[in-house]
Amino acid sequence: MIRAHRGWQGAAALGATLALVLTACGSDGGSGGNGEPSGDPVTGGTLVYLEHQPHNTLYPPAAGFYPNGGLVNNITDRLVYQDPQTLEFEPWIATDWEVNADATQYTFNLRGDVTFSDGSPLDATVVAANFDLYGLGDPDRALTVSEAVNNYASSEVVDADTVVFNFSAPAPGFLQAASTINSGLVSAGTLEGAFEDYGPGNGENVIGSGPFVITAEEIGTSVTLTAREDYAWAPESLQNQGRPYVDEVQVTVTPEDSVRVGALTSGQADVIRYVEAQDEAQVAGAGLDIYAPQTRGVNNSLSLRFTNPILSDIRVRQALIAGIDRQQVVDTIYTENYPLATSSLSSTALGYTDLEEYYAFDPERAADLLDEAGWTLGADGIRERDGQSLTLVVNEAAPQPRSFEALTLISQQLAEIGVDLQILRADAGTYTEAIQDADQVQIYHSMVGRADLDVIKSQYYSTNRNTLLNRDPATDAIADPELEALLAAVASEADGDTRIANSQAVQTYLAENAYVIPLFEEPQVFGSQTDVEGLSFESVGRPSFYEVWLDR
Amino acid sequence: MTAEASLEAGVPDGAPTPGAPRTRGGGAVGRATPAGRGGRVLALLTGYVPRRLGQALIVLWIAFTAAFVLLQAMPGDAIMIRFENPELGLSPEQIADIRASYGVDDPVLIQYLHTFAGFIRGDFGYSVQSGTPVRQLIAEAFPQTLVLAAAGFVLAVLLAFAIAFLSASARFAWIRTALRSVPSLFVSVPVFWLGIVLIQFFSFRLGWVAVINPGPVEGLILPVLTLAVPIAAPIAQILTRSIDEVYTQPFVRVVQAKGASPSWVLWRNVLKNATLPTLTMAGILFGELIGGAVVTETVFGRSGIGRITEQAVANQDTPVLQAVVLLAATVFVLINLTVDLIYPKLDPRLARRIGGSR
Repeated sequence: MIRAHRGWQGAAALGATLALVLTACGSDGGSGGNGEPSGDPVTGGTLVYLEHQPHNTLYPPAAGFYPNGGLVNNITDRLVYQDPQTLEFEPWIATDWEVNADATQYTFNLRGDVTFSDGSPLDATVVAANFDLYGLGDPDRALTVSEAVNNYASSEVVDADTVVFNFSAPAPGFLQAASTINSGLVSAGTLEGAFEDYGPGNGENVIGSGPFVITAEEIGTSVTLTAREDYAWAPESLQNQGRPYVDEVQVTVTPEDSVRVGALTSGQADVIRYVEAQDEAQVAGAGLDIYAPQTRGVNNSLSLRFTNPILSDIRVRQALIAGIDRQQVVDTIYTENYPLATSSLSSTALGYTDLEEYYAFDPERAADLLDEAGWTLGADGIRERDGQSLTLVVNEAAPQPRSFEALTLISQQLAEIGVDLQILRADAGTYTEAIQDADQVQIYHSMVGRADLDVIKSQYYSTNRNTLLNRDPATDAIADPELEALLAAVASEADGDTRIANSQAVQTYLAENAYVIPLFEEPQVFGSQTDVEGLSFESVGRPSFYEVWLDR
Repeated sequence: MTAEASLEAGVPDGAPTPGAPRTRGGGAVGRATPAGRGGRVLALLTGYVPRRLGQALIVLWIAFTAAFVLLQAMPGDAIMIRFENPELGLSPEQIADIRASYGVDDPVLIQYLHTFAGFIRGDFGYSVQSGTPVRQLIAEAFPQTLVLAAAGFVLAVLLAFAIAFLSASARFAWIRTALRSVPSLFVSVPVFWLGIVLIQFFSFRLGWVAVINPGPVEGLILPVLTLAVPIAAPIAQILTRSIDEVYTQPFVRVVQAKGASPSWVLWRNVLKNATLPTLTMAGILFGELIGGAVVTETVFGRSGIGRITEQAVANQDTPVLQAVVLLAATVFVLINLTVDLIYPKLDPRLARRIGGSR
């Protein structure tokens, strides 16, 4: 049986008992393992952690890719700590903060005792410099703006431990943005580097104030994280307040799935990231732990690009929704760690509202809708209208779990109602061009994880990910201004309750207009030895090794 | 040059010219007067080698240019793939700024000259995907691949000779038949599958060698084995066939008639003559080694040129691909040159042609 620790749900107690809770969950599955936890955390030892892919940059705003984020989360601290369970904010590097009424000015008071691993102090000046770069970017150094920081204008250093940030428009998501790995604080020296200086091979020179320091690196193969002995500024709610328990984390890249899983079951590795759905049974069968923290954002979903002539007809879009048996997709391709989606947002995301009734499977209705829209069955079982066949293209989303398998099944389901769904697998250049064109890729498969209400804007807004291609990249024309306005409202309203209402308005609008087919709530799945205690995850599923200890 | 090499190798492989057979004690090279040998070396140094080096440089330049043109002709470019990735959520203006700072929209000729000048200076630029200097990427990966490929190649040659030798000297027909089917078996094993099977059995099941964070030698055992098997197969096939052919030649009967033992005949006369086509094949097989390295390095999670190439291809990382193409071309040129220089050691007729009038 699979012992899932899905997003820590069910764990009533937090803080001081985190490690104990995990162990308790881990041993109630009854499939062997180490039994009861043997008490207090033990200091020492090396954790062997297997990554699926090598990291490609440690520049925090561009570190969303999980192999990057897994490192940045452990080598940097943030101003604010977001509790991964309650999503509430707590002090971390900032002891307290103030936000003005329209969320255009944030004032942070900082701890005075924090140092970077190179010995330099973490003070207001360096914090200001961090956000000046993350909020404004620097194209000359190919350093991009953080997707999470909106409307950033300027910083003011009031004194050594007080910093103020000004925004050109309300920025209600900034507090959460300041808690994510994309806002990981790095030293003044690191901030002077260009994109190259954050790349693989240069990890030892990326200096943060976090509990671990990169001490060795072999490009594309391994990274060694070493504990900082003098680390003493963990968020208060954590049990550990001193140095990390383990001495080292050996991050080793093992691209081949069967080798990663085999290494775990044969005891050569302690924790592995990216256990594919079909391998979960093997890990659970060996009596090992499976963790499936949720990514708490926009669900794994298909965006229907309504600017394409075929999909501009709402009846066709509704028919696609009704023609896909999402439950069968989840049951066949995935596991119980991949819950069926009931809205464009995950049920664990802020602002979620249940819109399940819009996404029911009803092939007869799908056929009727297509008939109504003038698409009639042709001789080969594919519908046609005016000599054009009902052929649509969807991209294989390589970063998403089992994208190709899921799309293949969906393609079979749609064939039943006379829709020919092709899957785009191409070289990177062709792919990048095709997904920017609603007439080449009519259906876009993707997701985005972020534990803030802004996440829905990130996914659909014209100048962010623009997955619906509401903004035509060729002409910059906006096809649906109403959607734009609804999305903008989520990210520019200062009041919390109004923001939630605005996010729900977007979800409802997406459902009513049949713009999106949500598939499932995407987790990050990890496998672990049963004697690894205290493994935790930040709010969208990146591992934290700070409280890990080895019960052996 | 590969074509030239196989052409020359075709001579002893086919019908032998009269007078070609060598008797015990070696051939003409062994009996050459010191003055004659010195003259030949001089001729090599003044004519043959510089000419071949000049050809090599031209080949490298063509490879560089072809790679540049082909990479330009592909849809999209590395900057687009890296920064227009929807996952970064950048606005069109931000992307335009970055494109300008990289100079990707400059005229192609300017970019070509710029890249070419860089390569002449030994500056291969930066990986667009990760920002790491390409020179650093290659410098860290190449020794790893070199060790893997060299060890794999040596093992493959040993395996091939063992198979060929055993099948030539086995007493019973059924053993010979069995041994002769080994190369076909080897060549049909997919490298990918073989690697995984070896890992599953020797590492995960038996626990003899670690795959995760192994020692430097330990980490080579299974990858080298994986790489050697499919390379050994064609070498063994060619060697076995050549041995059969050399045995049918009249000079072998002459040697046998003079009273040489079967092992003498095999070692001193047959193998030496049968090695020439094998050597040609081995040179060509180096390409296969590179291909095998891509798979082997991925399965075993080793760093190396294969992994770099795979990732660069996936992201169309132009500066990296450009350097990898040039590196591969250089290695091919060097191997062919080496093979061509070894030929005369094995067949003096080729020495006369190389060192002489040509």
